[in-house]
Amino acid sequence: MATVAENFSLRPNHKKKFRAPVVKEIMKKVLQQKLDGQEYHPDNVTNYTKEIADTICARLKEVGWDRYKYIVQVVIGEQRGEGLKMGCRCFWDSDTDSYAEEMYTSKQLFCVATVYGIYHY
Amino acid sequence: MAQEDIPERIPTFEEEVSPILKEVVDSVIGPNTTYNHSKVGVWVNQIVEGCMKEIRALPMPRKYIVNCTILQQNGAGLHAATSCFWDNEADTSCTCTRSYKTLVVITTVYGLQL
Repeated sequence: MATVAENFSLRPNHKKKFRAPVVKEIMKKVLQQKLDGQEYHPDNVTNYTKEIADTICARLKEVGWDRYKYIVQVVIGEQRGEGLKMGCRCFWDSDTDSYAEEMYTSKQLFCVATVYGIYHY
Repeated sequence: MAQEDIPERIPTFEEEVSPILKEVVDSVIGPNTTYNHSKVGVWVNQIVEGCMKEIRALPMPRKYIVNCTILQQNGAGLHAATSCFWDNEADTSCTCTRSYKTLVVITTVYGLQL
């Protein structure tokens, strides 16, 4: 991560904070691109989860928010009418850190992607 | 050179957190619990809050994210992957998966150094 010698502030500029709607948009595009028309097969779903997680991570780096660490979580499951519940609790600085989530459903599968953005002081 | 001066081995993140996760999940969801759609929300909250309470008390100053997924077991498949852009030496994660007859609980804790 690049450091700027002249900048000694501990907080990001409000323009350069983690913005959930921006990240949601990125995730939506990636999920639609990778999963449209796909079926659930145990062999290829393993690759999809890894690819989607890596692609989202790469696109986040391109957005250009400085000093942010990202955790991208992708869960893909087969659609068989089963119940699923996901929850999370975060112990962080709510001023600088945030998260975004996006869901994608189709007849064969569903996918939940979550991104956590943590500022590194 | 007294033996007392040598510091104890610092436990790794996994060693500290793994038993906490197992304990909390076992206390909320016993081996005889059946999947109940109306109670799942409550269970997830209980597990996540219970874990966070214990983990916050750990000595090293870190930011934590606790994630919990409860899935009904009916033969369907599930895959999960995580990609992280962080400092490999400072930040870690720990996952604990518990399967019961009718449900599966996956709990993950991410610890990021300040």
